[in-house]
Amino acid sequence: MIGYLTAILVVVLISALVALALNIQWGQAGMVNFGIFGFFAATSYVAALSALAGYPLLISLVLAILTGVVLSALVALVSARLREDYFAIATLAFAEAVRLFLLNETWLTGGANGLPGIPRPLSAYASGQSYELLFFVLALVLAAICFVFAQALTKSPFGRVLRALREDDLVAATLGKDVLSFRIWAFAAGGAILGVAGYLHSSYFGYIDPTQFGAFVTAYAFMAVIAGGRGSNTGLLFGAVSVMVLLEGTRFLKDLMPFLDAGQAASLRLILIGVGLILLLIYKPQGFFREHRLRVNKGDTK
Amino acid sequence: MLQILLNGIVSGLLVALPAVALSLTYGVLKFPNFAIGSMITFGAYIALFFNVDIGVPLFAAAGLAAVGLAAVALLIDRLVYRPLRGADHVTLLVASIGVYFVLENVVRFLFGSDIRGYDVTVARPHRWMGLRVNNEQILIFVVALLAMVIVWFILMRTPFGRAMRAVSDNPDLADVRGISRNKVIALVWVISAALSSTAGVLIGMDGIIDPLMGWNYVLPLFAAVILGGIGNPLGAVLGALIIGIVEEMSTLVLPTTYRQAVSFVIIALVLLLRPHGLLGKPRISR
Repeated sequence: MIGYLTAILVVVLISALVALALNIQWGQAGMVNFGIFGFFAATSYVAALSALAGYPLLISLVLAILTGVVLSALVALVSARLREDYFAIATLAFAEAVRLFLLNETWLTGGANGLPGIPRPLSAYASGQSYELLFFVLALVLAAICFVFAQALTKSPFGRVLRALREDDLVAATLGKDVLSFRIWAFAAGGAILGVAGYLHSSYFGYIDPTQFGAFVTAYAFMAVIAGGRGSNTGLLFGAVSVMVLLEGTRFLKDLMPFLDAGQAASLRLILIGVGLILLLIYKPQGFFREHRLRVNKGDTK
Repeated sequence: MLQILLNGIVSGLLVALPAVALSLTYGVLKFPNFAIGSMITFGAYIALFFNVDIGVPLFAAAGLAAVGLAAVALLIDRLVYRPLRGADHVTLLVASIGVYFVLENVVRFLFGSDIRGYDVTVARPHRWMGLRVNNEQILIFVVALLAMVIVWFILMRTPFGRAMRAVSDNPDLADVRGISRNKVIALVWVISAALSSTAGVLIGMDGIIDPLMGWNYVLPLFAAVILGGIGNPLGAVLGALIIGIVEEMSTLVLPTTYRQAVSFVIIALVLLLRPHGLLGKPRISR
């Protein structure tokens, strides 16, 4: 039972991190990253390869974060001037290119067979159920650091400029803000968080292959961000948790409807994701939480 | 060399059909419809159902698929896009990803994930002036050209087409002149459904049918539309032909598995050098 619970919690934390990255990139900076699964895949593979090469936790983690930062900055450098819909297409194209690379460079990535036997970090200190618990604590600590980082970013002047850019980049530019460099940094900050997510993903599952990184990752992340209220980090936690509970909950569909085979149950879950996303957009587009705003309390203005 | 050019033109024409659909929906609804891939897949499977499970000849099954997919597209518009009219285009963009999920997985749910094929006999390719041409290629060539002539005729020579172009240029002005936006949108969905399902059937005849068949065309499609200038149907055809030919030529220097990467490179280059595409006009947006 503890094993199952920690497994769900770790999965929730990883997807919350992916959504947190999207919340900085899209929620705050207005950059529609449809290719988020490509960045996530790249950082996961880098983490896996470095762990397989025998590097310890800290080094693989840093390598994964660096991969996220560098790739995001490069993609943003090329495409951050584009309008939102073009940006979405460009990032999706990048993600598909990553997928092609992972599928075809078999010598490095194992191709469609993936990479098995990725060593798990800190395995010297615990085993069995207590290891599951230890990994959960590790994931929790890393996620907490990322959350504090995102929250600090949101409340900083930097975050304020990002929201200004999102609302109207022309006004922000007129006020002397360097739109391009702000966007690149925002995208890279999201990339850093994706690095942490990728590290946790590959080291927790111990096996990765290209099918784990599909467009559905993008859909989950958008759902979590929209449900949580675009731009709100606290809301995002709620959003990510409720989306994952929904998803994990639908695993039990198969028990309720035994006449479905495994493939049908899986596709029914994905149909529900699509329907859920659309319903959210129609009925609750502003989400359940408000984003951070500077508040003026009574007496502050004196 | 000529053989490569021929193959390129044929696969370009295959991309051109849904690319025109994509560019029409973009023109009127102002968002890139990411669900286009799953519309291709859905159309191919409706035809598969009639052709294999019921035994209708493929030609008739393709017609039924066009009608069926048009009905599905109208239903989706009513349930999803109409409540979101007036929402910003990012919302519509994300909604179309939702639609993509629903359509592709309805296909998986009903038909499974196995590779299927139509009930057609495979003929030997013809030899003609040293070129190898198979029946599917001739069919694709004829059907795609015919479909594009019909769309061109509707767009340029009928009142419906005029209304469509008016809404695409300036929705408010069209509205003032009494053009019903919803009627135009419905027509656009019907046309783009017919084009996508036709493309789906042709792709299925030439290759295989599986739930991912449409998704594999999404990148070349967007590359074609961006290259031609988004929202410009003629540009989409031109872009599609260029993509098809460049993809075929790339197999001379690249491993065939990287064919799709051509689309990525083209998207990146166009967005960097000429974001409004070959035939598009530079647009100053806000």
